[in-house]
Amino acid sequence: MPNSVLSVQNIVKAFGSVRAVDGVSFDVRRGTITGLLGRNGAGKTTSIRMITGIFLPDAGRIEWRGSGSDNNAFRDRVGYLPEERGMYKQMKVLEHLLFLAEIKGRTGPDVRRKAGQWLERFELWDKRDSKVEELSKGNQQKVQLAGTLLHDPELIILDEPQSGLDPVNMVVVRNLLRELRDEGRTILLSTHMMGEAERLADDIVLVHQGKVVLSGSLDEVRGSFGKNTLQLEFEGDGSFLTALPNVVKANVQDRSAELSLSEGADPQAILQAAAARLRIRRFEVATPSLEEIFIDKVGSDSLQSVQPAEVMR
Amino acid sequence: MNKFLAVFKREYIQAVRRRIFIIMTLLGPFLMAGLMFLPTIMMVKGVGEKKVAVVDATGELRDAVMNPTPQRSERNVPSQVGALQKKRGSSIGSGPVQIEYVDARGAKDLKTVEQTYFNRMTDTSTPKAKKLDGILTVPADSFDNDKARLTYYSRSSTDLIAQERVARLVNHGIERRRLISHGIDPEAIDRLMKDVQVDGVQLSASGEQKKGGELNFLIGFVFAALLVIPVFIYGTDIMRGIIQEKTERIVEILVSSMTPMQLLSGKILGLAAVGLTQLAVWVIMASALGAYGGGMAAAAGINIMQFFHASILVYFLVFFVLAYMTYVTVYAIGGSVCNSDKEAQQLIAPIMMVMMMPWILGGAIIMNPDSTLAVSLSLSPFFAPITMFMRIIVADPPISQIATSIVVSIVTIAVMLWITAKIFRIGILSYGKRPTIPELWRWMKLA
Repeated sequence: MPNSVLSVQNIVKAFGSVRAVDGVSFDVRRGTITGLLGRNGAGKTTSIRMITGIFLPDAGRIEWRGSGSDNNAFRDRVGYLPEERGMYKQMKVLEHLLFLAEIKGRTGPDVRRKAGQWLERFELWDKRDSKVEELSKGNQQKVQLAGTLLHDPELIILDEPQSGLDPVNMVVVRNLLRELRDEGRTILLSTHMMGEAERLADDIVLVHQGKVVLSGSLDEVRGSFGKNTLQLEFEGDGSFLTALPNVVKANVQDRSAELSLSEGADPQAILQAAAARLRIRRFEVATPSLEEIFIDKVGSDSLQSVQPAEVMR
Repeated sequence: MNKFLAVFKREYIQAVRRRIFIIMTLLGPFLMAGLMFLPTIMMVKGVGEKKVAVVDATGELRDAVMNPTPQRSERNVPSQVGALQKKRGSSIGSGPVQIEYVDARGAKDLKTVEQTYFNRMTDTSTPKAKKLDGILTVPADSFDNDKARLTYYSRSSTDLIAQERVARLVNHGIERRRLISHGIDPEAIDRLMKDVQVDGVQLSASGEQKKGGELNFLIGFVFAALLVIPVFIYGTDIMRGIIQEKTERIVEILVSSMTPMQLLSGKILGLAAVGLTQLAVWVIMASALGAYGGGMAAAAGINIMQFFHASILVYFLVFFVLAYMTYVTVYAIGGSVCNSDKEAQQLIAPIMMVMMMPWILGGAIIMNPDSTLAVSLSLSPFFAPITMFMRIIVADPPISQIATSIVVSIVTIAVMLWITAKIFRIGILSYGKRPTIPELWRWMKLA
């Protein structure tokens, strides 16, 4: 793929008899946000660990096409925020940031100034001399995010960056990621939150059971799934919606539902049937949501084994 | 290199800043001195006086037993210890022996006389002041009968030194009586039987002579302790550090930013620098104390500075770093394969017991620095640095052996580092149960 910063080709990783990643390939285009999507255990984190060099792939290639050519260039040009955050709890905040920059080969007054800017932006400048362990979880997370970005990475790899954030911080992070993308940086964002991926990603790679089941730009992916999708918001018990004629697939929740209709079906007929038994608050004929596409691709069988919270969010 | 330095600096600064480091650095020497000298002091003082009754059926040995010629009583004590004991004016290994002389001349039945003393020895109700630790009986025919035997009764079968000492006194008395009965002048006997004292002098290959070899024994131990104690403190530290990085998930960022070798060597050498800093402080403190202690030793007629050649200090540095690195790499493996401090301690404890062999066998090595045991330990992987250093302190091993020992240590460390780095990458990210040996082997081949 032209303009690609990172090219992942057919990587495989097995743990014992389990093939956690089984031939995954995708490209990350420069200046875009690529969403690596999938359920917990789909192979996202293992893929990322291979990309960041923590695991060596059993097979396949990972090509860095950014600046510099040796391994170290790649290590230094990537900013990585692991899924499970980790920091030296005894270190002071500013000190910790400078250490994180130093292991990426950056030292000096320039980095110091930048670290200060990040801390100010996250409203943590006053806490620069506090120990990391004295910070709240959310603040620790912000420090770690600053540490991921401090060395000015070309490619930013974020594994579930928004897990555990409150809604306000979630917006802060979302805006930050957009801003970084607009500055021309490349972001690989692993998440199971379809809604976030939908808001942020330019490209998506959907992984399931170690394999890529769908990939492409978000628009393409959505376009390839027909327009026969209904979104409903209502009051009442909507469970009967699943059984309506011409409804191929339904994702019904307490107050909303997303219905896929068979080819040529009339959305109005569905509306009438629904209005007969429910108070309809919103009715929309829409392109399918990523969530719906996700469930479609991954299969409804797996829904039964999944906590709704994990898939539906 | 920069990454190595970053890790090195972080380890060093974080460790030196810790309160425990400051406390240990300031109090360490005193704690160590306490550990070192307490047993000696206890040996000298704590064992207390032994009370032995000499039941003498000949009735002629009162003088020999109660007023012995001084140097007699100290013969036959191991020479190293004996020399020390002279300096201290008391005895090591056993407290002074207080003898109660019983004139049992003409006693019809020695057994009945003995019996009352047996009671004082075995009866728990005996007041402490009258309690006996041993009884030596001297039969009436001791002077004439070649087959006469002394009998020593004691409460503990290990009380050999007291037994030896009392028996020697009595024997000396008996010998003296026998000579007198052959018409030799008692004064001449005392003069003729006087012991000639022995001075221990260590002769090095260069022909240099040192007096006061018994101090080597202590100094060997002090230095060996200086070598071993930091290893224990910082070895556990590095293990904890690795486990902490694992449990607190920092390791992913570290490993994705540098090679395991950069990370490990930075950590290990960073902590080695911490150990050296601590030692430097100790050496400064010791030289201050040494000025005082040296004065004391000089007063006792020993030039303590003869043990502190520049070469010893150089050897100390070399072997400290080697010993430290050897042990710490083992701890690092423990840290990489385990998921909790507790688990790691369990894994590492038996390994450390084996690795501590030179320390456990320290007495034997220092006493016989050129024995097969000492030589082979000083040339084998893992044991080499500590054993060789002990040998250097007390003896003068050939340069070729010292060189071999250093090479063996360096190779051991390199191999261990290589293994650790291999295991590290996988071990550090695997959670759950601890890997088995076959699994470790597979990791090493895979990584």
